[in-house]
Amino acid sequence: MLAAVRPHSWDLAIFVHVAGAMIMMGGLVTAAGAGLIGWRDGAATLRRIAALTLFAVALPGWIIMRVGAEWAYSKEGWDDVPDKLQPTWLGIGYITADVGGIILLIALILGGIGVRKARGGGGTGLLKASTVLAALLIAVYVVSVWAMGGKPS
Amino acid sequence: MDFYDWMLALHLLSAFAIASALTLYSVMVVVGRRADDAEPRRTLFRLAPLGTPLVGGGSVLALILGVILAIDSDTFEIWDGWVIAALVLWAVMGAIGGQTGRYYTAVQKLAEEGGEGAQQEVAARLRAPTGAMLHLATVAVFVLILLDMLFKPGA
Repeated sequence: MLAAVRPHSWDLAIFVHVAGAMIMMGGLVTAAGAGLIGWRDGAATLRRIAALTLFAVALPGWIIMRVGAEWAYSKEGWDDVPDKLQPTWLGIGYITADVGGIILLIALILGGIGVRKARGGGGTGLLKASTVLAALLIAVYVVSVWAMGGKPS
Repeated sequence: MDFYDWMLALHLLSAFAIASALTLYSVMVVVGRRADDAEPRRTLFRLAPLGTPLVGGGSVLALILGVILAIDSDTFEIWDGWVIAALVLWAVMGAIGGQTGRYYTAVQKLAEEGGEGAQQEVAARLRAPTGAMLHLATVAVFVLILLDMLFKPGA
């Protein structure tokens, strides 16, 4: 993976970025999977696991990915390139990371309230909404990973 | 995007599929160790089929696409040290991952059997260090592959 040869001074920043993205994607897949598999369950076990995974795995992954992205951006010297000359793949990366971050935040809030309400037997709709957003985020980040890997224009 | 770029993008997506499966299994290992009752444990095992195609398909595709990339590349060869290291680590990850899978599949079968004795055994096996250590070793080898791919020692 990442077969292009680049200066070794960039490697650590890119490793942090990719590792964070992988943790985040894993958290999203786990959360969406648990939420969808437990969609019709009477007990909220899987829906609760979905919401907690978003908080404990996907959120830290997003933070690590985003810190790594800024670090790599700086290391690779994109700071010095005017916005209009920056490549499309970089724009796709930024848009998906930031818009995805907002969607993740909404999913976390819905999931958090849902988990609290689930203790009293409610919150099903909120937890399901959180699952749907996690599934949407998987699609968003698959596009992002494709763009980061293939680097179109 | 040319042929090489597409192969690279799909290779990266395959690696993400493996990482997603490993994350799913990590959550299952952690939650399984903390589960007190038989029902949450049985519920948890329903997640396992999600990981199987991700880790299986991801591993095979990452290998095939990686070999294609090595053959197609003008800058490195398949016999470069870091590429050979990746292939060896891939095989090691498969072997340890397979062992981990067999361990938890046996626990899942036991959980589905039911019965008080079986449930106590399931709880004991989920809390035993064997499965968690095997899983941790699989994750560690995956991280080594990732480091090897990104740092390309010797390139």
